[in-house]
Amino acid sequence: MKNKYIFGGFIIVIFLSLMVYLFTQSNIQYQDDFSQVMNTTKTVKATGSWVKEKSYDLNRKNKTFTFFMVDDNGNEMKVIYNGTIPNNFESAASVVVTGKYVNGYFHAKDILTKCPSKYEDEQVKTSTM
Amino acid sequence: MIGTIFLVIALAFSIMALVMYYLSFRGYKNTLNYARISYHGMVMLIIAASTMLWYTLLTHQYQFKYVFSYSNNSLDTGFLLASFWGGQEGSFMLWLLLTSIIGIILQSYTSKRKDLEPQVMIVFTLTTAFLLVMVSPWFKNPFEYIWATPMFLDLKSINTLYLELPFLQSFFFTDNNSGAGFIQMNAELHGLLAGSGISVNQFIVDGRGLNPQLLNFWMQIHPPILFTGFAMSTVPFAFALSALIKNNYKDWVKQAFPWLLAGMGILGLGVMLGGYWAYEMLGWGGYWAWDPVENSSLIPWIIGVAAIHTMLVQRKTQSKGGIGKFAKTNLILCILTYILVLYSSFLTRSGVLGDASVHSFVDPGNIVYFFLLLFMGTFLIMGFGAIAYRWKSLIDDTRIEEGLLSRELALFTAAVVLIASAVIILVGTSAPIFGQSVDTFFYDEMHIPLAIIIGLLNGLSLLIKWKNTKGEDLLKKSLPFLGVTFVITFLIVIFGGIDRIIIVLLTLSTVFVLVVNSEVAFKIVKGNKKMLGAYVAHIGIALFILGVIGSSVYSQQVDVNLVKNETKTAFGYEMTFTGWTPIDNNTKYSFNIDIKKGNSEYLVKPVMYVSDFNNSLMRIPAILNLLTQDLYISPNGYDEGKKSTSNSGETISLQKGSSTNFDGSTITFEKFNLGEGTMTAMQEGIDFQMGAILVIKKDGEVEKTELLRKQINGNIEFTSYSSKEFDLRIDLVNLSASNIEISISKISEVKADQHSEAQEILYVSASIKPFISFVWIGVAVMVFGFFIALARRLPESMSKSK
Repeated sequence: MKNKYIFGGFIIVIFLSLMVYLFTQSNIQYQDDFSQVMNTTKTVKATGSWVKEKSYDLNRKNKTFTFFMVDDNGNEMKVIYNGTIPNNFESAASVVVTGKYVNGYFHAKDILTKCPSKYEDEQVKTSTM
Repeated sequence: MIGTIFLVIALAFSIMALVMYYLSFRGYKNTLNYARISYHGMVMLIIAASTMLWYTLLTHQYQFKYVFSYSNNSLDTGFLLASFWGGQEGSFMLWLLLTSIIGIILQSYTSKRKDLEPQVMIVFTLTTAFLLVMVSPWFKNPFEYIWATPMFLDLKSINTLYLELPFLQSFFFTDNNSGAGFIQMNAELHGLLAGSGISVNQFIVDGRGLNPQLLNFWMQIHPPILFTGFAMSTVPFAFALSALIKNNYKDWVKQAFPWLLAGMGILGLGVMLGGYWAYEMLGWGGYWAWDPVENSSLIPWIIGVAAIHTMLVQRKTQSKGGIGKFAKTNLILCILTYILVLYSSFLTRSGVLGDASVHSFVDPGNIVYFFLLLFMGTFLIMGFGAIAYRWKSLIDDTRIEEGLLSRELALFTAAVVLIASAVIILVGTSAPIFGQSVDTFFYDEMHIPLAIIIGLLNGLSLLIKWKNTKGEDLLKKSLPFLGVTFVITFLIVIFGGIDRIIIVLLTLSTVFVLVVNSEVAFKIVKGNKKMLGAYVAHIGIALFILGVIGSSVYSQQVDVNLVKNETKTAFGYEMTFTGWTPIDNNTKYSFNIDIKKGNSEYLVKPVMYVSDFNNSLMRIPAILNLLTQDLYISPNGYDEGKKSTSNSGETISLQKGSSTNFDGSTITFEKFNLGEGTMTAMQEGIDFQMGAILVIKKDGEVEKTELLRKQINGNIEFTSYSSKEFDLRIDLVNLSASNIEISISKISEVKADQHSEAQEILYVSASIKPFISFVWIGVAVMVFGFFIALARRLPESMSKSK
C-alpha cells in the first residue's frame, strides 16, 4: 500500500519537473515595451500597433514582408516577416509579433492581427466632427 | 423587446424550478409538479426567445444591436441562421438553448427513478439559471437595442433618404485616418428619429455582416455540435453531485455513463470539425495550432475520456458488491469535465486571452469577467466542497487487490496519462493570464512520449485480463501481435523514410494498438457487435495518430511563383496558372491552376478577394485531396503584370506625408497634385491626370519630382522617374485616394533584368500533407466507436435500480 503511493509520487515528480523544464525552454513572454524587446536576444511576443503612416513593403523576390510597429511609449521598430501579408492585416488595430530583435530588425516568425469591431469605435472617437 | 421579456420570465421560472425541486428534495409532496411545470415553462420560453432571435435575423431587424453587428442583407438563409451564434451573446443563447433541451430528456429519465429527479435537477436547473443571467438584460442580452449604448454606424448602412435630415448633421463623424464617415447612434438620435416618425429599422438598411473568416460551410455546423457536447457534459456533473447529495455512489456511474459517452463523442466530433475548418479556411496549412481556444475545448474532452476509462472499472468491480473501485476519481473527473467547460468559456469570453488567440472575443466588459468567474467558482466550490464533505464515506470498500498486470490498473494508468496530457495543455493555455506563453513545441514534445505510453498501454491492456494475469501468459499471448507490429512498423519506417528514433517508437506503439484492436474487433464482429465500441474507438485513435505523424512530421512546403501559362513543378506536380475567373457576383476571384501528375489532371481554384467587412485581402486555400496525401495550395498574392513595372519585384505603398528608404536615399511622398478640373473630369469620365509629388534626398542633395497617373481614352498610364546621379528609378504602380504604390530600383540593375513583356504572376505556397486523410478518418472512426459503446450502455442504464 505504502509502495503504491511512493511510486505514484515519484512518477508525478518526474512528470512535473519535465513539464517545468520544457515550459521554461519554450516560454515566450509578452512585451509591450519595445525598448525591452530591443535589449533582449530572447524570443518574445511584442505587442503594439502597426504604423500606418509609414510604408509597408512586400518583397516578392525575397518573399519578405516589412512594416513598422510602435508601442504605447512611441518606440518604433522595423519588423521583417518571411512570408506574405497576413489576412486582415490592412484593418488591424493591434498586432502581436513573435520573434526576436537582431541587427536592427525584429525578425517575426508569426504575426497575429487583432481587428475587433470594438476598436473601430475607439478610433473614431478621437476624430473631429 | 419580446425576446428580452421571454428571457427574464424564463429566469424567473428557472429560479422557481430551483426552489420547487429543493422543496421536493426536502420531502414536500406536492411541489414536484410545480417544479416540472416551471422547468418546462422555462424551456418553452428559451425556445421562444431563440426563435425570436432567428426571426429578427431572418427579417433583418437592424434595430437590434446583435442583428446589426453579425448579419447583413447579403447573407443567405443558411448563414443568417448561423449568425445566431456569430457573436458572444448568441453563443451563450445557443449553449442555453441546447442545455435546457437536454434537461427535458434528463428530467424524463430521472423522473422514472424514485427520488433521483429532485437531486439531479436542482444542480442542472442551477446551471441553466446561470446561463439565463448571462443572457439577461444586465449582461450579454442578444435583444439589446442598437441605441442602448452609443455605437458608430458606417454610412453605407444608413438609408440615403434620411442623410439630409437637418438634425442628423450633428451625429456625423469622420475618421481622420481613413476619411470614412460614420453616424453615431445613441438614445438621443433614436428619440429624434422617433419624433420624425422614422423607425430605426427604416433608418438602418444594412448590417455589418459576419467576419469573412466565419463565412464557411462549417460555421453552420461546428458551433452547434461543439455546444451540444458542452451542454451534455452538464449531465454527468449533475449526476455526480446528486450522488454526493444522496451519499450513494453506486448507481450514478451506470446512469451517467451513456451521457458521458454521447457527450464526449459529440464534443470530440465538434473539436475535429473545428480543426477541419481551420485547415480548409485559414490557409496556414494545419488543422491544429495549439491555439488557446482550440485547446480549451480539448481539455474537457480529455478529462471526460479519462472518466470513461475509470468509470468502466467502477462498473466492473461493482459486481462484487460495494461501490466499486475509483469512486472518488470518477466523481472528481465528472465534476472537472464540466468545470473545464466553464473554464473554457471563461478563457475565450472574458477577454483574458485578448492578445493570445485569433478566436477570442475582445472587450466583454469587466462585469462579464466577474460573472464568469462567479459562475465557475460556484460550481467548483460546490463540486469539490461536496467531495471534501463526503470524503470519509468514499473510502474504497472493494477488498480485492489487483495485480500489477490487471486490466483495472491498465485502465487507471490510461486515465492518469490522459490527465497528464490535460494538465500540460491547461498549463500552456492558461499561461497568457500571467503574461507568459509557450511555444507550440512545448505541447508537441510533451505529447509524443505520452502518445507512446498510451499506445503501448492500450495494446497491452487488451491482452491482459481483469483482476490478474501471469507474466508468462502475457508474454506468450503478445508474441504474435508484437511480431506483426514489428513487421508493419519496419515497412512503414523503411518506405516512409522515418529517421527520428522517437517517431519510430511512436509509430511502433500506434501500430501495436491498430493490430491488437483490429484482431479483437475481428473476433467480435462474428459475435455481439455491441461489444465493438472500445476497439473501434481505439482503432480510430491509432489511425488518427498515424495521420498526425504523416501530415505534420513529413509535411513539406515550398513557395512557387506561377507565371501565367508557364508550368512549374513542385513535389512532382506540374502546376500551370491559367488565369482568374470572377465568382460570387464579381466579389471574389478564383485563380485557376491546372495540376498534372503522371496521367491524372486536376483543376484547383484558390480564392482571393477584398472583404467589405474589414477592407482586407482574404485568401482561401485550395486543397487537392488525393488518397495518400493532400496537395495544399495557399495563395499569397497576385501581380497583374503592368508594363511599366520593373522586375525588381519590390512594391512599396506610401501614404501622404510618409517616406521610405532605398539604397541611402529617402523618398517622401509629399502630396497629391490634382489639377483644376480633375474632379469634374473624373466624374464625367473624360481624360484627366493626377500627380504625386515626391521629394528625394540623398547625401544632402534634394530633388523634387512629380509622378503622374494619366487616363487617356480609358487607358491608364503611369509615369516613372529616373536619376543617374542617384542611381535610382521610381515607377508609379498605383495611385488611389489614400496612398500611392511605387516600385523602386537601381538603374544599374534595372537595365540588366528588365523584360518588356507583361507577366501575370500568381504567388502561392504549395505543400504536401501525407496521409492527412487519416486524421479525419481516424476521428470519424473513433466517434463511431463512442456511439457503438453508447448503444451497449444505454439499455444498461435504462434498467431500473432496485
